[in-house]
Amino acid sequence: MKAIKLSLNQKLAVIVMVLGLLAVFAGNPYRGNTATLNVKELALLVDKETDHISVDDLADWIIKGRADYRLVDVRSEKEFAEYHIPTAENIPVASLFEGALMRNEKIILYSEGGIHAAQAWFLLKAQQYKSAYILRDGLDEWKNRILFPSIAENASADEKLAFEKRKSVSAFFGGSPRTGTADAKSTPQLAMPKLEMPAASAAAGGAPKKKKKEGC
Amino acid sequence: MNTIDVAAPEDIEERAPVEVIHKAQPFWNSYLAGIGLGLVLLAAFVIMGRGLGASGAFSSLVSVGINVVSPEHAQANGFFSENLGDGVHHPLKDWLVFEVMGVVVGGFVSGLFAHRLKGSVEKGPRISTGKRFLFAFLGGGIMGFGAKLARGCTSGQALTGGAVLGVGSWAFMLAVFAGGYAVAYFFRRQWT
Amino acid sequence: MNAPFFKFGLFGDEASLIVAFIIGIGFGFFLERAGFGSGRKLAAQFYFTDMTVFKVMFTAIVTAMLGLFWLSVLGVVDLSLVYVSQTYLAPQIVGGLILGVGFVIGGYCPGTSCVSAATGRYDAMIYILGIIAGVFVFGEAYPLLKDFYSSGAMGKVTLPELFGVSYGLVVFLVVLMAVGGFVGAEWVEKKLAAKVKGVQQ
Repeated sequence: MKAIKLSLNQKLAVIVMVLGLLAVFAGNPYRGNTATLNVKELALLVDKETDHISVDDLADWIIKGRADYRLVDVRSEKEFAEYHIPTAENIPVASLFEGALMRNEKIILYSEGGIHAAQAWFLLKAQQYKSAYILRDGLDEWKNRILFPSIAENASADEKLAFEKRKSVSAFFGGSPRTGTADAKSTPQLAMPKLEMPAASAAAGGAPKKKKKEGC
Repeated sequence: MNTIDVAAPEDIEERAPVEVIHKAQPFWNSYLAGIGLGLVLLAAFVIMGRGLGASGAFSSLVSVGINVVSPEHAQANGFFSENLGDGVHHPLKDWLVFEVMGVVVGGFVSGLFAHRLKGSVEKGPRISTGKRFLFAFLGGGIMGFGAKLARGCTSGQALTGGAVLGVGSWAFMLAVFAGGYAVAYFFRRQWT
Repeated sequence: MNAPFFKFGLFGDEASLIVAFIIGIGFGFFLERAGFGSGRKLAAQFYFTDMTVFKVMFTAIVTAMLGLFWLSVLGVVDLSLVYVSQTYLAPQIVGGLILGVGFVIGGYCPGTSCVSAATGRYDAMIYILGIIAGVFVFGEAYPLLKDFYSSGAMGKVTLPELFGVSYGLVVFLVVLMAVGGFVGAEWVEKKLAAKVKGVQQ
């Protein structure tokens, strides 16, 4: 049998045609379908709780106007409209993969208690999002510790000192500290602060000016 | 696969178009040069997550120039102020500006090794040098305006956007060829 | 591996400028090697006497497209992080038409004019001054053009999304189209080469 002699250009044409034809059957190039989950690695993360962010840290970042992360509220739109942590954006769990989040972003998730946030965390991890975090104990903890901090009457001097600091943080977010109430639960409906971005933070971080475009 | 009748490169030997350049090496096989270009673009995708560009560097340059002459005027204009950026980084410390500086160096180096460096004017035999200069300036002006309107030029839109299958980029690419072929007849004296 | 490296924070803004310079050198080098330093060669595309522009451009597009596709499928590159420019259909089509006219009149596009000027073409240097003037005029006219500039916005949309077909299928169709185009381009060049020879004899 005589070998078919191809010129360089013809060989190149054959190669691209083969690569192109195989592409039809190669599946979705957007990672996700082919992602493999390292279960052991995830389990270790959970065990060591390195995937958690405390509400104190978060409050601190918001006050300082840090912008290297995205705070994501995974609750429903209605709940989000009622109250959300300042600077948060609303992405319900079902809409997580509609393109708003990038895999290289630091993402902090929160929900009412933390279950939905944790479930969203697993979904993101399964889709190879590198740095997803959960706000520890969610909005409940945010209310307890940041908005409406309380202190026991028999608190030590140290605790009282720390509480003074917490009061200022609470004031920043428009909350109201509770003092001397041993039975915090009996407090009647606590007024949620208005949904306005605290002025001080707006001045510190400001609306970050847009970076230059990537295009030509 | 045997039916693909691509002519062998030796059949259509490429020749330097300007005969006065002595010893100038022939240009590369178009497909090999294209693969090289494609690999550079791919490297930009893999390393930076963005493609190539050229006209963007000119936007930065012009905006900086305007800003030097009249900062108020530059800031009041949405186009110039956007190209001046956030005020944190100097607008000329820009990715595309550095990339285009590289293009100049790369072109020079390639021309040097291929003995293609020579002061000359690219034109057909039927047009004077003065007229060619006028057309070059006019063409550059039209190109600059069009590139800004289209948000990119042949490098940023056609090449880069084409490779990532952007809808606007493909529409742009077809429009470029359509525009060029539509008026080519009227400017044939310049080139042929 | 996590690519695009820059977007995963493997290096910072300062280092990215060095990368830009090196990538630019590669870009300029291959443009010059292809013959794109010559305005006559570029313009010849529009007279069907030299199809190099088409051949080089589509080879580059196909190479980068296939490379990006396969690296994404293999999980090396996160395709969702690769920049896709926004589509604004009307200004992009009109801008493209204008740009095509400028190409024929001037003989270059912005990238190739840099290469051409670097290899000593005086007309390319003047062309670059023209680009600067054109960008300046656009900037000054921007307040008037603003509405048209943002018309026909479709967001970050790709051909597979637009047609609702798989990414791989579009890749294959582009390859088919390009190879078909190359065959046609070679045929045209051969025909015209014969014609030109005939005229000379």
